[in-house]
Amino acid sequence: MSLKYGVLGLLKGEPLHGYEVKNRFEAMLGGTWEVNIGQIYTTLQRLERDGLVKPVGQRGDRRKLQYELSDAGQKALDQWLAQPDSGPQQLHEDIYVKLLLATRIANGDLQPMLARQKRTYLQRLRDLNRLEERARHDGRIDLARLVRGALLHTEADLKWMDELSSERFGAEEAE
Amino acid sequence: MIDLVRLTDVNKVYQGGITGALNGVSISVEKGEFAAIMGPSGSGKSTMLNLIAGLDRPTSGTITVGGTDLAKLSEGGLARFRRDTIGFVFQFFYLLSNLTALENVLIPAQLKGGDAKAHARDLLDKLGIKEVADKYPARLSGGQQQRVAIARALINNPMLLLADEPTGALDTHSGDQVMELLGGLHRDGQTILLVTHDAKLATRNAARVLSVVDGRIVDDARLESPERAASEVIRVRSEETSR
Repeated sequence: MSLKYGVLGLLKGEPLHGYEVKNRFEAMLGGTWEVNIGQIYTTLQRLERDGLVKPVGQRGDRRKLQYELSDAGQKALDQWLAQPDSGPQQLHEDIYVKLLLATRIANGDLQPMLARQKRTYLQRLRDLNRLEERARHDGRIDLARLVRGALLHTEADLKWMDELSSERFGAEEAE
Repeated sequence: MIDLVRLTDVNKVYQGGITGALNGVSISVEKGEFAAIMGPSGSGKSTMLNLIAGLDRPTSGTITVGGTDLAKLSEGGLARFRRDTIGFVFQFFYLLSNLTALENVLIPAQLKGGDAKAHARDLLDKLGIKEVADKYPARLSGGQQQRVAIARALINNPMLLLADEPTGALDTHSGDQVMELLGGLHRDGQTILLVTHDAKLATRNAARVLSVVDGRIVDDARLESPERAASEVIRVRSEETSR
């Protein structure tokens, strides 16, 4: 996910100053991504340096300085939106490395680790369900879609735990 | 709290095969709980539900529902138990095709005697399908048929509602609606035991998830339901430091 393009996208609607960008960005993400104002100013300065945004009016107090999208910025945003996400799959969570280490250290007995992890995923599903419900209740269908993606990912994580725990998988490994 | 359902060291052996067998299952379910039973195909989760419903008898072990030891009931007693105490919702609805929706809902009530028509209409209304009362099942969508089946399961105000893959034959949207209805019934105090493959749907309502593998309960997870801030549940993150 890119803060840079998030900022460009928000400026497409209307000129905004730094705090407006921060507030709108966080509201759009429904609290799932908090940014500090320093990051926003740095991002705006870099975008200006690269000619993708330009200041509106006099340069004075940076808190009041509004930015708007340049033609080049518009083009960059369109290109980014049109590109599919590619590159390597991101696996951020520790479980992937824990699993590899536990296979060596725990002499192949992964069951306790898998059981604990499975419970965590079940709880996460429950939390995500409530978050989705809240988003729908607030009329945030866009946010509900994001949560739905997280729900499906967690469902896959859970299936992975089940597959690892199943005898069938163990038998394959023993062969 | 009162244990509504209690299984003690329940075994079920099937001749000529091990699928669906149970090995020493002991669980209890309290009044007012919504518990989900999850596990792979053939793990025995439907067998558990059928035994609790009195549709089948265990090879050994004790099952009590509402304080009644099912082993002590005659076949006739078991039939009355099923009619008065249990509501059962199946994956494939099992509505009678030559009866209207309303008549289907009334089947268990007629077995009991008395006029339950007003109650049946109330149930159809509550489940959002009062307009289909006089239609035949073939004219109804899957979601509507399942809601008729839920009304039928509820007509005798059962102490316990059992649902075996109630969303398994439905599209995502209808499945959501059916699960929402079950959630509403639970909030009104209904005790529900749900067998499902779908962990997303299960955790929407069930605060307890029993995992069954090879006829054994391998986990009994009690989930919390606090209001969490979005950032505690999801973190969309940036790996960028833009240049």
